[in-house]
Amino acid sequence: MGFAHFWLSGFDQIRAGFWAYFAVGLQNGALYAMIAVGYTLVYGVLGLINFAHGEVFMCGGFAGVLLTHAILGQGVANGWESVGLVLAGIVFAGLISALVATGVEQVAYRPLRRRHAPKLAYLISAIGASYFLQTIAGKEFGYGQTTFPAEVFPAGQTMFYIGNTPIHTIEVICVVVGTIMFLAADRIVRSTRLGRGIRAVAQDAETSALMGVNIDRTITLTFIIGGSLAGAAGFLYALQNGIVQNSGTALGIYAFTAAVLGGIGNLRGAALGGMLIGLFGSFSVPFAFEGNISWTEIYTFIILVLVLIVRPTGILGEKSGRTA
Amino acid sequence: MKHRLNKAVALAAAGALAMTAVPLLAGTVSGASSKPTYTIGVQGPFTGSDADYGNYDYAGVQYAVSLANASGKYGFHLKVEKFDDQGSSTVAPGAAQKAVGTKNLVAVVGPAFSGPSEVSYKYYHAAHIAEVSPSATAVALASGSDSSFLRTVADDSVQGGADASYLVTTKGEKNITVIGDESFYGAGLADAVATDAKALGATVTTQQIANFNEGGGGNAGAYSTLATSLAQAKPAAIFYGGYASEFGLLIGDLTADGYTTATHVIMSGDGSNDASLMTSTSPATAANGAFVSQSATGKVSYFTGKMATAFTKLTHTKASIAIYAAQSYDAANAIIKALVADKKTSSIKTLRKETVTSLHKVSFAGVTGPIAFQADGNLKVDKGAVQISEVDNGVITLVTSVG
Repeated sequence: MGFAHFWLSGFDQIRAGFWAYFAVGLQNGALYAMIAVGYTLVYGVLGLINFAHGEVFMCGGFAGVLLTHAILGQGVANGWESVGLVLAGIVFAGLISALVATGVEQVAYRPLRRRHAPKLAYLISAIGASYFLQTIAGKEFGYGQTTFPAEVFPAGQTMFYIGNTPIHTIEVICVVVGTIMFLAADRIVRSTRLGRGIRAVAQDAETSALMGVNIDRTITLTFIIGGSLAGAAGFLYALQNGIVQNSGTALGIYAFTAAVLGGIGNLRGAALGGMLIGLFGSFSVPFAFEGNISWTEIYTFIILVLVLIVRPTGILGEKSGRTA
Repeated sequence: MKHRLNKAVALAAAGALAMTAVPLLAGTVSGASSKPTYTIGVQGPFTGSDADYGNYDYAGVQYAVSLANASGKYGFHLKVEKFDDQGSSTVAPGAAQKAVGTKNLVAVVGPAFSGPSEVSYKYYHAAHIAEVSPSATAVALASGSDSSFLRTVADDSVQGGADASYLVTTKGEKNITVIGDESFYGAGLADAVATDAKALGATVTTQQIANFNEGGGGNAGAYSTLATSLAQAKPAAIFYGGYASEFGLLIGDLTADGYTTATHVIMSGDGSNDASLMTSTSPATAANGAFVSQSATGKVSYFTGKMATAFTKLTHTKASIAIYAAQSYDAANAIIKALVADKKTSSIKTLRKETVTSLHKVSFAGVTGPIAFQADGNLKVDKGAVQISEVDNGVITLVTSVG
């Protein structure tokens, strides 16, 4: 009785607040997708999981908050000023994170690649880079202390209503920016010379080098694309939540899960996986046992395992070498 | 200015140490002809968003120590040293180890927060160093007999009961969601509120969400999904057991979802009773109307009249906002009284041990009330009224006392 009542009341909550859960789910999903692109691209070209990618995201959050605070101070912007600050924050955060991602590649991975180190060495190096970045951020901004949200528009601002449900500006911005940046990345990988290079290196690095593809340059550009998306996501996240030195850990795990769910190495899979995990996480909140929100994570991983049992290479399939 | 003052104190201490160099080398801290210098540590957050708490604690100790040194009636000179744990359970062990390794440190005022207190205890306990916390209120911290952890503030069982009584009896709310932040302090307070509110006849739904500022592995994004869910469930009141940073974030997210302090009671405990609540809430005005409590013996305004003036002059801190400064002042005085009772002819190691024992025997009229400790480290008299405050136009303002 109690158990059935628990599930029924969960569904009641979803019926009553469907659009609210949907909007938050899409917002989180867009952020996961933006971070997941970096995991999937790097896996595509290097065949490794860049575990420092969560910290690349975190650096973008700090960069964006610091920039907007420097411009805005303690004030709250409105109208076109807000639009300008959001764009400036995204660009700056993207740039800084791209720089950090490139730095990680140059320092943590390239020397290993030159020496043909085993994959395990990359993993250790990635964990080291991750701790390094977290520690630097902690030393600079305090361990586990929030750097408060950048108020580039009034917090909680409602953009429009669906029925009685307010849809907030931050939710719309995350989904719109995420979609635009994802489409741009998808276009680059599918239709440009650089994208062909990325796909060629992913398929067979040695052969593509013989064919004239500059491997180092291609890998660097891959990190730049992934880093700039993660950085922009970091800023969008910090707009609402502020940012902490370990923010990248939880978000990174979600995004990595999204990449695996969609099919690691597959750009569109990363986007799909991100959205699904975002939505699933949001809609499972009313079903959290004893009100413990950690249950949403357990549900998410149960779904991940079930999907991987049915489709071991993820929903859209692993397409290493044929990214997108 | 503080820095300069520290330098002056350090120079004086160096001089005093130089004079006692021979006996110190011989393993004692007492000179026959000059006063030894002892250090009282203050462990708490001195950096980060909760730094106010540490700075106020330090100011209270600084005030007590300066009065003791100026009186000239004690056979020792005191200095104060900060140990920054950033309010984080992750950073606290390092701060505690640094304190333990500090020469001539006899006892510590702090840690300020319960989580750091829990993880620091083993280091202090192993070194027989007494900790007298002015503000760590988690029930489980005080246990056993002859504990080296003591506190000059009542624990959360008192605060939780009063919070529940305020919500259910005073405000008449019968449908309450109680959220714990999975921290040692927050989860404990939430449990106490939930238990007592149920006992008073309220329907209580409990939720847990991991914090991310106190060493928890939480994800700030989860707060917006929790807020969405709460706004749908629409409990009459929400109680959050946790700290100001996350409470502020939650209020902001709830307000965005239409669940505001104007229509519902949103409350938290002393962990959120700090001006940083307003900077954590976005927009800051959303915090107006939120309630925060202050544990029994935990009120701010103990320094009054000449005391308040002298405190402000010495520490450059307003007595009216320096939360837990008076409790720190009492904690420092308890340590000073224990030191007076110690034999002081022994090594620093033995002196630390003696101080723990002596602290359990002190009994005096503190500025916050009678100070004497039970065997488990709790105050003997801890039934003072719990203060309930409301954020009014960005200022935490006393509403009533419960109990």
